[in-house]
Amino acid sequence: MAGLHALHKILVEHAHPRPRDVAPGEFLEIEPDVFAVQVATNAEEVARLEADLAELGVDELPLRDRIFPFTDHGAPAPTAGIATGQKRWRDFYRARGIAVADPGAGISHLILTERGIVLPGSVVALRDSHTPTMGAVGAFAASLAGGTLSLFALGRYWLDVPRVMLVRIDGRLRKGVYGRDVALHINGALGQRGALGCAVEFAGSFVRDLSMDLRFTLCNMGTEIGAMASYVQPDDITLHWVRDRAQRPFCVFHTDPGFEYEGVHEFDVSTLEPQVAAPHAPDNVKPLSEVEGRHIDQAFLGSCASGRLEDIAAAAAVLKGRKVHPDVRFIVTPGSREVVMAATRLGYMDVLHEANAVVTSANCGACPGLHGGILAPGEIAIACNTRNFPGRMGPNAEIYLASPASVAASAIEGRIASPLKYLQ
Amino acid sequence: MKVTGAVWKFPQDDIDTDQIRRAVYSHLPASEQAKHCLESLDPGFAAQARPGDLIVGGRNFGCGSSRPAHVAVKALGIGAVLAESFGRLFFRNSISGGLLVVPCPGIVAFAERGDRLEVDTAAGEVRNVATGATLRFAPLASFLRDMVELGGEKAYLKARLARDRESQRR
Repeated sequence: MAGLHALHKILVEHAHPRPRDVAPGEFLEIEPDVFAVQVATNAEEVARLEADLAELGVDELPLRDRIFPFTDHGAPAPTAGIATGQKRWRDFYRARGIAVADPGAGISHLILTERGIVLPGSVVALRDSHTPTMGAVGAFAASLAGGTLSLFALGRYWLDVPRVMLVRIDGRLRKGVYGRDVALHINGALGQRGALGCAVEFAGSFVRDLSMDLRFTLCNMGTEIGAMASYVQPDDITLHWVRDRAQRPFCVFHTDPGFEYEGVHEFDVSTLEPQVAAPHAPDNVKPLSEVEGRHIDQAFLGSCASGRLEDIAAAAAVLKGRKVHPDVRFIVTPGSREVVMAATRLGYMDVLHEANAVVTSANCGACPGLHGGILAPGEIAIACNTRNFPGRMGPNAEIYLASPASVAASAIEGRIASPLKYLQ
Repeated sequence: MKVTGAVWKFPQDDIDTDQIRRAVYSHLPASEQAKHCLESLDPGFAAQARPGDLIVGGRNFGCGSSRPAHVAVKALGIGAVLAESFGRLFFRNSISGGLLVVPCPGIVAFAERGDRLEVDTAAGEVRNVATGATLRFAPLASFLRDMVELGGEKAYLKARLARDRESQRR
């Protein structure tokens, strides 16, 4: 292969046996630095895992010290069925001396990076489709699916070496337009299969100047274009963010100068307007102005795409001194406890409460449609969720995806609205 | 490995895992999940499907969440899913769960509902039993084929761990 991408070098570093060269499509046996797991909702699944481990003769989990369980989906438990599943999973981890994050600690992807567990050059395995989010720190973060039992029993799993696509973004955003609008725009332009079978690297002057919060937003969207992993080359912004958080030494890998990308897509965002993804697909993207004025029943701010401090700050800037429309439920679910505390310190929480927003504990909230704001059939929501597939937040409901500022502006008006006029 | 069965066709692109099995059913036992398999696209499908039947899908079948939606498909007794292409997570989950999934470009045009197809994973070929027409596909990586043929990730690991322990003893 003519030159390696940084992502390939990370894989090689973690592969057993360590290969001299790698080719896309080839499978490697990988030992991850971090094996993150959800305190899931299915009791049958944990019973099966216990039986499987017993049958395989595995007593000690080889990755025990690198296992991080999170209670972020359907948390705190909304039904007895889910509570039973979560209890069984918690018992499973506790019996093995593994600490479980509480249901208000936040979303896995946020905690793992905020607490310096996933770092530049790390490989993280996690059975959540938005794992590519963590590529924003320069980690190899591909969602785990198939390989869970291997990780529990063997401490390794198989990963296919990806082709890598480059998305170069330049330009400065106009007022009222945010990183999430850029992510939506690219999602629409490249489509749900735009990076199928590839990893995607984000670069360009826009990304160079982008905050970590919004780099996470961008990388999160990699999932919706079918990417296996997202990546931003660590720079001073990354290192500044990571340095005080890192719980162990880390290594920044660099792409070889001669590396050939699978494809290069270029975007200039300087004239971009606020965007929405209309029902029922995250790539059904259009300018918000085309659907402005459409009635909404609920607005949701949160998720691993847009539940960080900057997202809450953007919504608070729009809401300050205003009230949520009386016919709208505006639900705010911060992405992590760190976000809750920072937003409280900075006064954003007061703004939200004074506006009559419903502020919940930090977790996935309404995004996966398990609780915390399920929609009734026929209802319409504007949300900064990760995705808006049919039935996601309730059967026969509609979801428009938008930036946190657009969500807040719409919550004020009770219809889809641009944030611009609230930003004077 | 050869699998023969009758086709159920879901030709749409980008059918996500929550449409294959909604998240709200994820805490139910597999046999209960099976009753809701693909219900939003065809409410009668789960009740009428027979063990060994095949699903034919469009591009990016099983995109979206990593939730193990293949459990519902497997518990329904589906013999294989053939699709134009797959979401990566559904693909990996399925192989791990012992559900045969075959990326097979051209399958939507090739197969109609009710057709009996024979899938030969080693040869990389689908054959229409009635007409003899064939469609080629790139065979799966051999260790993935082994995993499905052994019945999934556990059986594969069992063989692997036995081999590792054997070589340690020597």
